[in-house]
Amino acid sequence: MGCIYGHQNLVWRSFPDNALTAAAYKYNHIVMEQIGYMDASVNLDAVFAALADPTRRAILSRLADGQASVKDIAAPFEMSQPAVSKHLKVLERAGLIERDIDEQRRPARLKAAKMAVAADWLAEFQKFWGTSFDQLDDVLTSMKAAAERSEDA
Amino acid sequence: MSELPEYKFDHVFDAPRDMVWRAWTDPKLLSRWYGPGIETIIHAYDLKPGGAWLNEMKWGDKADYSKMAFQEVTPPEKLVWHHSSTDSDWNIAANPMMPDWPRTLLTTVLFEEQGAQTMVRLSQIPIDATDAEIACFAKMMAGMDNGWGSGYAVIDTVLAEMQGGEQGD
Repeated sequence: MGCIYGHQNLVWRSFPDNALTAAAYKYNHIVMEQIGYMDASVNLDAVFAALADPTRRAILSRLADGQASVKDIAAPFEMSQPAVSKHLKVLERAGLIERDIDEQRRPARLKAAKMAVAADWLAEFQKFWGTSFDQLDDVLTSMKAAAERSEDA
Repeated sequence: MSELPEYKFDHVFDAPRDMVWRAWTDPKLLSRWYGPGIETIIHAYDLKPGGAWLNEMKWGDKADYSKMAFQEVTPPEKLVWHHSSTDSDWNIAANPMMPDWPRTLLTTVLFEEQGAQTMVRLSQIPIDATDAEIACFAKMMAGMDNGWGSGYAVIDTVLAEMQGGEQGD
C-alpha cells in the first residue's frame, strides 16, 4: 500500500491465505483502474480526512443501504439538517458520495470505488507488519525445528 | 512544535533473540516472511550503517520497490533504517497513489529478550518530511486509533458487493 508507506506502497489486505491476498491485490488494481488513476491520486488525502469522523462514517454506513435524502439521513442521528448537510459536503468533496443536482431532495448516494481504494490503503498499511509477523512466526517455527533436528543428530 | 506522528507495532515471538535477529538479518530468511502474501525479492542487503536493503515486492505483473538505508546495526538488539519508497531504479519517489505519503520513514526495530521469547518493537516516524506528508501520516495514524472498526464494516459490505462475480471462488 502506498500512503503505505515507504514501500508500503503496498497494496495488501491481510488474509491468512496467500491466494486470497493475491486476489485482493489484483482487485485493488482493478478498482484503481476503474476510478481513474489521477482521480484517485488527487483525492485520497481528502478521503482519509472525511473518513476520520465517526458521524460521517455512520452516514456512509446508512448510505450503504441505499440513497437517502438529508432528512432521512438526519433522522436517526438526532442532528439538524444543516449539520448533516455540512458532513455531506465533506463527503462529496472527497468523492465518497454523489448527489443529484436537479431534484429538490438532492438524495445522496455512496460512490463505493473511491472509498474502497482509501479503505484498502489504510487496511493494507495497518496489516502489513501484522501479516508479515505472522509469516515470521512460521519461519521461526521451522528454524526451531531445524535447530532441534541438528541437536538430535 | 508538535510531536511527529508515530506508527508502533509490538509483537512477541516465541523464539530466542538470536534466532529472531537472524530471521531479520539473513536475506534468505527475511524474504520468506517480509511482505504479506506476496513474492519478496531482496536485490541487495548490506547490513551496516551506510549499507542498504533493496527490496522488491511482486504480485502478478505488478511490483513495488523500496530502499532501506541502514543507520544503526547493533546485533542482536537494534536495527535502524530509513525506509523509502522508490522507483525501479531505487531512486526515492513519492507513491503515485498517495503523493503526500511520507517518502521516508525512520524505522527503528528493537529486539528484547523475554526469557525464551523475544519482544520486537517496531516504530516508524516520518523523516525529512513536508508538512503535507506529516499531516497525511498523522491522519492515517489517527484513523487506526479511532474506531475504524465501524468504517471497515461499511467497507467490507461495499467491497463484497463490488466484488460479486469477480472472484469465482
